[in-house]
Order: sequence, then structure tokens, then C-alpha cells
Amino acid sequence: MKEYDIVIVGGGPGGSMAAKVAAEKGLKTIFFERGRKPGEKNSSGCGLGPRMWRSWPDMMKNLTEDKCPSLRAGRFARNYLVDKKGEVSAMILARPTESVTYEPAKSFITMNCYRSEFDPWMADLATNAGAELKCSLLIKGLIKENGTVKGVVDEKGEKYMAPIVIGADGAVSMVAKQSGLRDKWYHDHITLVPQYDFYAPREKIDLIMHEEALAVWWMAGGIPSAYQVFFGDGFHVGLGNWMQSWEKNPLYYLNYVVNLKHFQRLIKMLGAKPREVQAHLLPWMPYPEKTYANGVMLIGDAAGFPCPLEAEGIFPAMESAEIAVEVAAEAIAEGDYSENKLKEYERRWQEESSIGTEFDAGPQLWSVWKALPFNAKNMDWFIPMVSEALTGIFDWSEPHKVRIRQIVAHVKKYLPQAMPTLMSEFVPLFTKALEDDMGKLMDPSIMPTLINLLPKLMSLMPDKKKKRRRRK
Amino acid sequence: MNINDFDLKSISTHIEGTGDFISIDNDKCNLCNRCLVICIMNLWKKREGKIVLAEDYKQKCVECAACYQVCEPGAISFQYPAGGTGVVFEQG
Ligand SMILES: Cc1cc2nc3c(=O)[nH]c(=O)nc-3n(C[C@H](O)[C@H](O)[C@H](O)COP(=O)(O)OP(=O)(O)OC[C@H]3O[C@@H](n4cnc5c(N)ncnc54)[C@H](O)[C@@H]3O)c2cc1C
Repeated sequence: MKEYDIVIVGGGPGGSMAAKVAAEKGLKTIFFERGRKPGEKNSSGCGLGPRMWRSWPDMMKNLTEDKCPSLRAGRFARNYLVDKKGEVSAMILARPTESVTYEPAKSFITMNCYRSEFDPWMADLATNAGAELKCSLLIKGLIKENGTVKGVVDEKGEKYMAPIVIGADGAVSMVAKQSGLRDKWYHDHITLVPQYDFYAPREKIDLIMHEEALAVWWMAGGIPSAYQVFFGDGFHVGLGNWMQSWEKNPLYYLNYVVNLKHFQRLIKMLGAKPREVQAHLLPWMPYPEKTYANGVMLIGDAAGFPCPLEAEGIFPAMESAEIAVEVAAEAIAEGDYSENKLKEYERRWQEESSIGTEFDAGPQLWSVWKALPFNAKNMDWFIPMVSEALTGIFDWSEPHKVRIRQIVAHVKKYLPQAMPTLMSEFVPLFTKALEDDMGKLMDPSIMPTLINLLPKLMSLMPDKKKKRRRRK
Repeated sequence: MNINDFDLKSISTHIEGTGDFISIDNDKCNLCNRCLVICIMNLWKKREGKIVLAEDYKQKCVECAACYQVCEPGAISFQYPAGGTGVVFEQG
């Protein structure tokens, strides 16, 4: 039996960050990883969010290509809009917009690198700070006394005791289960994300993709939307969905995307070859559930922290690690490891962290994502409507005046399908996001005008003209 | 080049040496078939009206735990394989 101040299960970004911060505070810290090295069990291959550079500049400035050869900045994102027939009907190139406030967020959307390089780099920071790491070791259970967690036991029966155990063991969390915080996820709180890694020569990616190192394939036709992330010498393509939404094998949908004509052309141009098949669970919830119990705190994926819109999970895992260790240090100083003390962890992530701010609009963000990219019925009007509205004018088939009429009429045709979703999804989201300014927007003097104006505007919009037959 | 032509096993790496880590209790199974559908490696089969796990699952499973997660009656048990064994994602 070995004794520590703090025991951390999991050597992902959450676990390593927790171990690093704990060791820096002088706490006797150990963390465990079931893989032979951190990162080899993870497949999120990963876009690191720019907030990591804002929150931990001294740490992140050391993440360089010599340590992580797969690094590639995702400066631009291609958005392919794919119609029901599998044709790319429009493509929108996005980059950080004018309203983004800081560097490096102005320069890239994500910094991409493989987890097999990033996770060991993070773990080294923790061991350099004095934390002990045991790899190739599965933690099998929690040791409890009188309903309080007192330590963990590994697969060989060795015991590691500590007044605080941090569950950084990811989506399939033994710590969450054995501490009674969660048995299984609700089906619509967790997604499965299958993914392929493709090899492609670095020079070809440099030349062909250049700074467009991210892509989203927005899919109509009953296929969940897919993402593509480029690294030094390869790329990922993957897609996700909630557990009950898979009607066919998940790879059927992913293969559909890969086999799109446009995608196949990209594969040929890049000289790309499938290199690895991966799948992982990813929590995607409207709001996290309880994250603490007597002697235990959950961080990162184990707690359900990936953001409710796009499931960015690395930053929240690391941010929650910092907060949990702060509270752990206070608990140790006070000698109080009870649920009542550790409740402070939940209060801080809710009220004083970006995780809390994100989940403040969590139910609305989660619901929008569920209703659109992963919802076949809605994407079937969304894709043609957006393509029509954004790109329809660039066309020489008629005088442009006629085209404008045709486009407006066509967009109007989709409105009866679109309005219910837009109203039920976007109105609550904007109401939530703008709640502090709602008073001004809801000024009673303008509301009646707006309400009267809408149907009027709709009636002014042209319908499709019947084709006039021209005589021969 | 068509991705369907690829043998999935040839693009995944496994370290041998684990004991069993997935099992099914057929008395609890309600034959909903969700495990059959969701396993990307096709490791669940229906034989004579019973759901069974492929014998070579330890060489193929990618440890996503989706089968365990979708199983409503709780018939499927899942634990991670022994430390240092099982699937390796070299480009994860
Ligand atoms: C396909 C995919 C793509 C994603 N893309 C992004 C992205 O681009 N950007 C982003 O920010 N997030 C992304 N995410 C989310 C991100 O991967 C997670 O939110 C993040 O990894 C959470 O970190 P963590 O430390 O909490 O858990 P994990 O990274 O899951 O780490 C848990 C670690 O604990 C180990 N472990 C588990 N149980 C035990 C045990 N009993 N004993 C010993 N060790 C154990 C595991 O092997 C693992 O290394 C993606 C997720 C997926 C699945």
C-alpha cells in the first residue's frame, strides 16, 4: 500500500494537467495511464483551441514542431455543403472573423496535432514537475470506507491511498461508476465518433490545402455531418452521432462521405492512403451532472465537459483540472475531504470558469446541434436553402433581376419547413445569449411593428412563376 | 480507390496479452440488435437466435465501449483490457 496526497486516474490532457498543477503545489501526486504511453488510447486527434495559449501562455509556447511533428495550424476551414445526391452544392471558406479579439485566435481556429504526440508532451510536464506516472497499468477499482473514497486499486491488486481521487479517466469512467456518480450515460448525452486517419505526404498537404487545414462536410441525405482535420503528414475524417441515432453501422455513414466524388478527388490529389481506423465515445450533453462525491472529483470527459455545440473537450478538461486541484489543495489544508467541501469545485466551474459560461447556454446550443448537422430531415432543406441564398446569384442563366426573383421564390419555398426549426432552435439560443440586453430588444414600442411587418414581408416575396410557354 | 475495399484489421494495431474484457449475459439480452449495428468492427453476431461475441474480438476491438453503452438491459459487460495491451492508435 502506497500513500499520496492526490491520486489521478487517467493520463489524458485532464489527468496530466491535474498532476502537473498538483505537483507544482508540492502535493505528493501519482497518475495512471492504461496505455503503454499517454495518448495511444485516444483518437481525438486534435484541434487544440486558442484559449489554451491565452490561459497558459508559458506552457503552450513550448509546444513546438520538434516535440510534436504533426502540428499544423488550422487557419481556414472549408465548409462543403453536400446535397442529397452527394454533390458539393456550395463551399464556404471560413477564417477567424473581425470580431475575434486576441492572438493566436485571430491566426488560427485550431492548432492540430496527434494525441499520440500531445498527450506524452503534457504528461512529461507533469513528471518534470515531480508527479509520478505509471503507464501500462489499469486502475480497476476505488477503495471506499464509510461511503468515502480513500484510494484506488490497480489490476494487480496494488493499493494507492489518498484523501483525494481525481477521475480523469475519460468517457468510460470507472471512477464515475464506482463512486456512484454515473452508471451509464443517457443515450443522448454521449456520442460515438468513428474516424479514419489517412496518410498524405507533407508537401502535398502544404501545396494543396495550404492553410485550409480544417473542413466540415455539411451533409444532406440522412448522413451526419463530418469533419476533416489536417496534420503534418495526414488527416482525420470522422463523424459522430448520439447512441440511438445509428440506424446502420457507423462506418456506413463515414464511408459514404469518403466515397463522395469530391472527397475521392481530394484523396487522389493528395496521394492519400487510409492508415488507421479509430472510434471513441465523446460526451455531448446539454448540462453536466454532479461532478463530486466524498473524496472524489470528476474532470474532463469523465465529467461531461466537452462543449455542447462542437464538443471541444481538451481545453475544458485542462481548465477543470486546474480548478479541481485548487479545491483539492484547500481540502487537504483543511483536512476536510467531504462532499460538502468538494462541492466548492462544482461551484467554481459553474460560476467562475469558461465551462460554466459555455453550459449556461448549454441546453440551447446542444439542441441546435442536434436539430441541424445530425438531423437528416432538417439538413435536406438547410443545405439547398443556404446554397441558394449564398451562391445563387452567381449565375448566368438569366438576367440577374430574374435570378434574384427566382432565388427569393426558391428560398421562400423552403421556409414552411425551415421556420419551425429556426424559431424553436435559434430564438431560444439568441434569447439566452442576449438575455442581458433583452430589455432593449423587446422594447414594446417596436414589437407590434415587427410582428405586423413579418407577414407583410412574406407576402411581398415572389412565388415561383409558372413557366411561360414560348411558341415555336 | 474505395474505402470499402479495405480490410479494417489491416489498418489497426493491437498489442496481445489481455484476458477477456467483454462478455454478454444472454439471459438479460432482449435481442434489440443495437450492439450488432453499432460495432464498427462487426464483432457481434447473431447465431441461432442468440447474440454472440466474435472469438477473435481481442485482436480487433477498438475499445470504444459503444456496445456496452447502447445495451439497455445491461446484458453486455465491458472493462478495459489489461494495461499495456489492446488497441493502439498511432495517429489518434
Ligand atoms: C474523434 C474525436 C475528436 C475530438 N476532437 C476534438 C478536438 O478537435 N478538440 C478538442 O478540444 N476536443 C476534441 N475531442 C474531445 C477530446 O478528445 C476530449 O474531450 C479530451 O480527450 C478529454 O480529455 P480527458 O483528459 O478528460 O480524457 P481522455 O483524453 O479520454 O483521457 C483519459 C485517459 O485515461 C486513461 N484511462 C481511462 N481509464 C483508465 C483506467 N481505469 N486506468 C488507467 N487509465 C485509464 C485513458 O487511456 C486515457 O488516456 C474529440 C473527441 C473525439 C472522440
